[in-house]
This record gives sequence, C-alpha cells and structure tokens, in this order.
Amino acid sequence: MVVAGSTRQTRVAGMRPRDTEGGVMRARTRYIVPLALAALVTTACGESGSSGTGGGADTTQASGDACAPVPGDQLVVLADDEGLQNADNLIPAVNAAAAEANPALVPALDAVSQALSLEELGALNVAVDVERQSPEDAAAAWVEENIDTAALEKGSGTIVIGGGNFSEPTILANIYADVLEAAGFTATVQPTGNRELYLPAVQRGEIQVHPDYLATVTEFLEGDDANQVASSDVDETVAALTPLAEEAGLVFGEPSEAANQNAFAVTQEFADELGVSTLSELADACGDGSLVLGGPGECPTRPFCQLGLEETYGLSFAGFQEFDAGGPLTKAAIQQGEVSLGLVFTTDGSVQQAD
Amino acid sequence: MLSAASGELLAVDAAPNPWFDPSYVTSNWDTIMGYLGEHVRLTVGAVVLGALLALPLAVLARRSRWLAGPVLGLSTLVYTIPSLAMFAFVAPITGLTTTTVLIGLVLYSLVILVRNFLAGLQAVPAEVREAARGMGYGAGRLFWQVELPLAVPAIMAGLRIATVSTVALATVGVIVGHGGLGQLITGGFNANFYRAPIVVGTLGCVLLALLADLLLAGAERLLTPWTRRAAA
Repeated sequence: MVVAGSTRQTRVAGMRPRDTEGGVMRARTRYIVPLALAALVTTACGESGSSGTGGGADTTQASGDACAPVPGDQLVVLADDEGLQNADNLIPAVNAAAAEANPALVPALDAVSQALSLEELGALNVAVDVERQSPEDAAAAWVEENIDTAALEKGSGTIVIGGGNFSEPTILANIYADVLEAAGFTATVQPTGNRELYLPAVQRGEIQVHPDYLATVTEFLEGDDANQVASSDVDETVAALTPLAEEAGLVFGEPSEAANQNAFAVTQEFADELGVSTLSELADACGDGSLVLGGPGECPTRPFCQLGLEETYGLSFAGFQEFDAGGPLTKAAIQQGEVSLGLVFTTDGSVQQAD
Repeated sequence: MLSAASGELLAVDAAPNPWFDPSYVTSNWDTIMGYLGEHVRLTVGAVVLGALLALPLAVLARRSRWLAGPVLGLSTLVYTIPSLAMFAFVAPITGLTTTTVLIGLVLYSLVILVRNFLAGLQAVPAEVREAARGMGYGAGRLFWQVELPLAVPAIMAGLRIATVSTVALATVGVIVGHGGLGQLITGGFNANFYRAPIVVGTLGCVLLALLADLLLAGAERLLTPWTRRAAA
C-alpha cells in the first residue's frame, strides 16, 4: 500500500507511473462511499434549507447556482487551453548507437507514434486494465488494425524493448515489438522498473528502446528540479529534450498525439448547459465561485490540480470533495452531480474530449 | 434511493476482479512458473553465496573483538542502503539482470548470516576447544571437525531466517524488472489493482518461504543427530 499511495501522489504531480490509483481507490471505497453519501445528504439538506429561507439571499443564490453540478452519464474533458499540464506525450526513447546502426528502427517507432491517437490509447488501457486482456493481445490487435506493416522500412538485428511495470508502457512496448518484428527485426520485450534504472540501461545500450513520457523524461534528463524546461507545448518540450538526449547518448522518436496527463472532466449536460468546452470558458462562465471540484486528497495543494486551476485559469471553487485520483469514485461523483468537475486522466478510455 | 443509484454507477465501472481466479493461473501458467523459477534461483543463490561470504567474515570477526565491530557494523550498514540506491550502484556494471538483484540480496543477507555464524562459533565451549587441542587437533581440523559442527544449530537458524527474509526481499527486484513473484504483485497493483496476480504472487511467496523453512529444518535435523539423542 505504501507503493500505491506514493505512486498516486506522483501521478497528481503529473508524473508516471499510471494506474495504481485503482488499488488505492478500491481499498478506500468502503470508507469513502459512506462519507461521500453523507456529504451528499448534508449538501442536499443545506440547499433545501437555504432555498427555504429565500428572500434576502437572492443575488448570491442566483449567481451561486450558475455552475452547480449537473448529473449525467457521459463525461467530457475540458480543453487545457492555457497549458496548465505539461506535454506528457508518449515518445520512444532509443539508444543512439542502435538508432545509428539500424536506420529503419526510429522510422518504425515513429509509425506507431503517428498512428496512435489518444482515444485509441484510452481504449487499449481499458482493454487491459478493465477487460483484462493481456497487453500482448491488445497490442497485436491494435497493430493489425492501424499499422501498414508492408510499408515499413526493413531492418534486421535484435532489439530489446523495455516495458516498464504498469499497463500503458507495457502495451506500448508490445506494440513497438510487433511493429519491429514486422519490419524484420527480432524484438523482445523485457519488464523494467524505475526510470532511474531503465533510462541508464537504454543509454548503455543494454535495452535499445523504451516508451517514455515527453515532459517527464525531459525533466528527468535535465535533472534540476528547480529548473522547469518542459512545458505544455509539445514542440518546445521536444526542442528542450533533443540536446539533453544527445548528451545522454539517446535519440527520441516522434511524440505521439496521445498524452497521459491530468485533466478535468464535467458531464456532457453541464458542458452543454453552460456552453463550455475549455477551462478558460469555464472560468468565464463560473466567476461566481459556485464550482465544486472533486479529486484526490492532495489536489488542493498541487500545482497541476486545484492550485493550477486557480492560478492559471482564475477559477474559484465553492468547495473541494476528496475522492480517488481519476478513478471510478471521482467519475461517479461527477456523473451523480456531487461535484461540477473532477480530476481524470487523459488516457482514461471512458472520458471524451469536449468539442 | 441514493445508495442504490451510486451502487449502480460504481458497479458499471467495476469489472469482475475476484481475489482467486483459477482461469488466471491456468492461462498464465508459464509466466507464473517463470517468475517462480526466478524467485527460487534468486533466493537459493543469495543464501548460498551469502553463507559462503559470511563464514570467513564470521571467522575473521571471531579472531578479535577489534575486528568484530567493523565486520558486524559493515554488514549492518550495507543493510541500510535502500534497494533503489543499491541497484543503481550495481546496475551500471551488471545491467538490468538477475545478477544485479542477486548481488543486492547477497549483501542484504549478510546482516543476518554473519551475526548468526559468529554467535554459533562463539558459543563453542572453550573447554571443548581445549580438549580438542589437547588431543592434538590442529587449527584446521579443530575448526572443521569440532567448532563448525557445534555451531550448526546457530548457523542453521541464521540460514533459515535469511532464507525466509530473502524470499520476501527478492520482490524488490521489480525495480530492475527481475523481482520473481514480485513482478506479479507489482504488475497487479499497476494494472488497476488486478487481484488475481497479486494473490498468486503473495501466496507464492508465503508458500515458498514455508517450504524453504521446512526443508532447512529437515536438513538441520539430519545434520545434528546428537541433539536428538541428547533430548531422547
């Protein structure tokens, strides 16, 4: 549980790895559900009480309801148009010597980056984490459908791909392996662990390829916590990464459109009612501070969560309710109208982008 | 009303995720056996190599009180190095391999083994040693035929604790992707709390530790027939 807890914290800071929130969530379900219900009941009582007194509280009452939660089944993510979240797009890290010796290697990985959309990555994560398909099967099915293997540049030789120890990079590593096999390489996937150990292994050439996250790996290679070189801009972050990678004996392929970031979801009904599709529009529509935010307990103190929403977008909140980090509890709370918006993750297959 | 509605919504999100899932075991049998094999190799390798290192260290430590402090202190100090740091030191030389994990586990086992081996050697009664010398035993024969056999109960106790502790500790190898059954436990946690591999990994560790302890207890019985005769 210590592992799960600490992982959850790093996630909210916009870092990998993904997915242990499930563990934390389920373990806490039995405590949080009654609490959440109690909170809901209390809120309902409070509302009926204040509307009953009516009269003098007219102005606050009217403005105070503008952005109250609206229940609904479909969740949509409001666009992060001010760039609060770092560009944690999936990107292949490649050993520089291996890339040089095999000219077909990086183009094959780039073919994956170009073909992989955020929705598809979400669907792959659901297939493995919810439907319990094996990462190998999910990867093979995706490659079959999305990659024209006949068009790949041909190469040869043995490539070892690191697969991390959570679902998303394992799926990606298997996709890379299938595509490289199709391109004539002999590719194997090896489980790896922490970035502190696998990235040096890629640098040494012990493994040749490892899927990684653009902003996080850029900050990792840069090394200085106080100096932020990664940003929400993919091109700028790649530009910052390239010299750092060269120094480290690494080459990075193209970043995929798919990025694993914190995101904030509302119900489709809420978005339609207010006519908002971005967080800026939400800030304009909800200046009265009637929003209720839901997310993990550390959200109010994290720059990539409530602090960032307040500072970057000028949003103000009527309250914060503690749930899990982008898991079923937070999503159910949004759907049931307990909170107006909640923290989710962009690669979660069950949420859509608002349009 | 409220609880029914919320229960329904939560149920939609919750895929079947039983604690015990025989179909998981059958469909992943080869993977599980692979990780179990790695776990056994890591444990046996770490304890055997640890014992081979610990014995000369214990002999050295017994030679003088002046040496005992540093030897015991060093083995304890090594134990306090966090596994991530330990593997980060070792990985540049041995890579992301089982050897990296093995080196870490051997070093961690020393804290138990050296202490127990030393205690066993120190517990050999001085008059027994005197008697052996009086019978013309040289240093080598004295050690192998008198002191070591008498130290066997303490040595075996150390081996048993070290083995059980290593079975549990081997799971930290997930940091380099070679954690034996730990791969199943961490993998399950990191795949949206997939219970089946977590339970298989955990039960596997517990059963492996019990089995290893039982085997060593049997070995100790065979090695020390005199203790039973004395008791009988």
